[in-house]
Amino acid sequence: MKKYLAKRIAFSIFSLFVVVMTVMLLVYTMIERSVIFQQDDTWNKKSNNDREMYEYVQYQKYGYLTYVDYSSFLKEKYIAKYGDSYATQEDFLTDMEVIQDAKAAKKNASVKEFMEKYSAMGYEVRYMEPITYKRGGIKPGGKGYLLAIQEKNVLYRLGDYLSGFFKFETTNDVKDPELTERYIRVEKDPYSGLFAVVGSGTTHKYLLYFDSKFPFIHQNFLRINLGTSYTTYRGQEITSVINNPTGDLVVTRQQYPAQLGTDNYVETAIDFHSLTYNTGILSDVERTQFNDKYTVYNYNRSGLSMIGNSFVMGIIATIIAYALGLPLGILMARRKDKTADKIGNAYIIFISAVPSLAYIFMLAAFGTALFHLPYKFANAEVPILAYILPTISLSLPSIGSLMKWMRRYMIDQMNSDYVKFARSQGLSEKEIFNIHISRNAMIYLVHGIPASILGCLTGAIITERVYSVPGVGNLLTRAINSHDNGIIVACTVFYTSLSIISLILGDLLLTKYDPRISLSEERGGGR
Amino acid sequence: MSEKNPAVNQDELFRFIDSDTISSEKIVAPRYSYWASVFRVFFRKKLNIVVLVILALILLISFVGPLIFPYDMMENVTNASTYNLSPAAAMSRFGGFSLKWLLGTGPMGNSIFYGVISSSRTSILLAVICAAINMTIGILVGALWGYSRSVDQVMLVVYNIIANVPYILLISVLVYIIGSGFWSFIFALTITGWLGIAYFFRTQVMIIRDREYSLASRCLGTPVTRVISKNILPFLTSVIVTLLATELPSYIGMEVFLSYIGVGLSASIPSLGRMIQQAQSAFMTYPWEFWPPVIVASAITIILYLLGQSLADASDPRTHM
Repeated sequence: MKKYLAKRIAFSIFSLFVVVMTVMLLVYTMIERSVIFQQDDTWNKKSNNDREMYEYVQYQKYGYLTYVDYSSFLKEKYIAKYGDSYATQEDFLTDMEVIQDAKAAKKNASVKEFMEKYSAMGYEVRYMEPITYKRGGIKPGGKGYLLAIQEKNVLYRLGDYLSGFFKFETTNDVKDPELTERYIRVEKDPYSGLFAVVGSGTTHKYLLYFDSKFPFIHQNFLRINLGTSYTTYRGQEITSVINNPTGDLVVTRQQYPAQLGTDNYVETAIDFHSLTYNTGILSDVERTQFNDKYTVYNYNRSGLSMIGNSFVMGIIATIIAYALGLPLGILMARRKDKTADKIGNAYIIFISAVPSLAYIFMLAAFGTALFHLPYKFANAEVPILAYILPTISLSLPSIGSLMKWMRRYMIDQMNSDYVKFARSQGLSEKEIFNIHISRNAMIYLVHGIPASILGCLTGAIITERVYSVPGVGNLLTRAINSHDNGIIVACTVFYTSLSIISLILGDLLLTKYDPRISLSEERGGGR
Repeated sequence: MSEKNPAVNQDELFRFIDSDTISSEKIVAPRYSYWASVFRVFFRKKLNIVVLVILALILLISFVGPLIFPYDMMENVTNASTYNLSPAAAMSRFGGFSLKWLLGTGPMGNSIFYGVISSSRTSILLAVICAAINMTIGILVGALWGYSRSVDQVMLVVYNIIANVPYILLISVLVYIIGSGFWSFIFALTITGWLGIAYFFRTQVMIIRDREYSLASRCLGTPVTRVISKNILPFLTSVIVTLLATELPSYIGMEVFLSYIGVGLSASIPSLGRMIQQAQSAFMTYPWEFWPPVIVASAITIILYLLGQSLADASDPRTHM
């Protein structure tokens, strides 16, 4: 069994790799990359070399390639030569300007050096010669540019992605020479009143802390980096996008770290547990507020995180579905071909045949007109009411499918010998159905339970769109529409891992529920 | 020993029958034709006939309709005063009662009624073509997959990988690459769509594969293709029809869903999904734009589903008694 599991997990990880690679191939090589400019006004306004340069800037941002600009190369070169005063030096300025003259550029030593250096490193050097009028002077957008470009190939990209997947916080995370003290230690946490593990030199200040928010214990030692968003959430890590709370700011009376113990209280929504290291230069105000350079923070918000919203709705819907679907399925099987069965069948046909969009909108129209329930999530006056309609519309299809399968398997079991035997022993019909048949029929349904619970983490596309729920369901579709390759890859990894984990858990649960089933062949089960 | 037992009087237990040479030459079992029995069982239920008539009507309207009511979604696009008119307003705007304005106008002054008719034609065509392609490939591959153990090993790896690539992602990437025309959309839906059907079918074939009669055929040296086509596939006819009953309507739902999230058919092709997507943001203000395509899509899918289910029931030989 252990050997089987190890094999299974190894294969799952392998197929995860292949899936990530396939998706990377799909999104980075098969989609014509210029489509990102289709609705880009800035691109439309630019012309000539400016437009091409803008394209390279965008391509780098979207993760297609990396490039080195000639001016940054010069900067580096002359900083090494002159130090901070490089910008006013004569030879720096001439080298800088020389690319605006195609003939002079070809003879220039710095340009040559740039070209040779990056060609040797496998870069493609691209010189966009200045576009000039015949009578002299540069055309609009015709400025010259010199770049060294490197396309990222898929294997390199995959390696890059995987090496950054797990992030362990260490005291060497911050590369700031100003920082002298580097430690990880347990301190008293002024914001919770309890103890916390605090780091210096780590990216996060609080590595382990307690607060009043679910799940109450939080850690920052190990973080999973699924990838970075390029467009929809500019430059943010996707794990923090889906985990950071949404909704309105929650303002409370708090004190800045440097002002603890004084009478200086401020009304602020800052979450002081979320402090991370500021690599820039502190402002004067920040110096009076903070003792150290951990000054970057998130805010406390009233709502759940995106994934929290999706999960809460999904999990309640799943519980409702199992609590209603299974008993109704049993009832239908008991009253086979009677009114209850017919009504149930009509519901099942309706739910499985009608496009989900249709009944979600029907429910929305019905719920708002009759019960005045909030339609759009953000407009709800009582926030909890906003969860009602989405949760119901999520549970409708699962109730239908659970009813359908429970009824089917119950009916299949009804003619088994053990049922006849139980009946001959004088058990009541209620006992036979509710205890004996339903437990055997459940064998087929147990396998899907982990999938339906973990599936809640992926959100629901249509429901979340219709009710404008800030959830994770539309991350992928929105990313596809805005060519956010980072999120597309991240979502793929996330969804694939969840589906693999839930399949394995489902199999394990099945063997626990029915010990007759064995997954590994050598135990004599099967053949 | 028993025949010597005097307690049993053999005359009371048995009697002689004259041998009838003529009737022994005839086959006494009633003639059984599979498909005749299927249709006999199918038409026994009155509801099935009603559903069939409704389907015929829908097909007639959606395929002949566009010839009588030519739909041009751009005809009033230059005239903003015709946008989003309720049925009553549209009729007074265009001078009196007409079928064309029965359901009002859409966001570009287009006739909703004509639009729904043309769109349902697209949806039905799409569903039929996709189902035909996916079912054919799926069943053929699934039969081989379930039958041969070496194919099974390879295909399982392929399945585990492809099934994990998000379906929406795959379709949107394909739509981006090959465009969102009618045939490219079908290509996107069918390129991996058959895989799920093949996987389902593989399991079904595996159950039948090891039955004694198949084993006997194999021992006698019957070729693989004939074992599949004569021993296995006929046994699975009702499974195939059941599958078809759920597949066919699912493509209509799929088109609606994909159009809703923005990766559906291109805007120039009238489709139910596109109409719903255009009207959904204002479904409270302009209900006449939103509900007709929704109701038509639901009606078509329910009819197809009901018909498929009854046909699946009828195609199960156990109901032929």
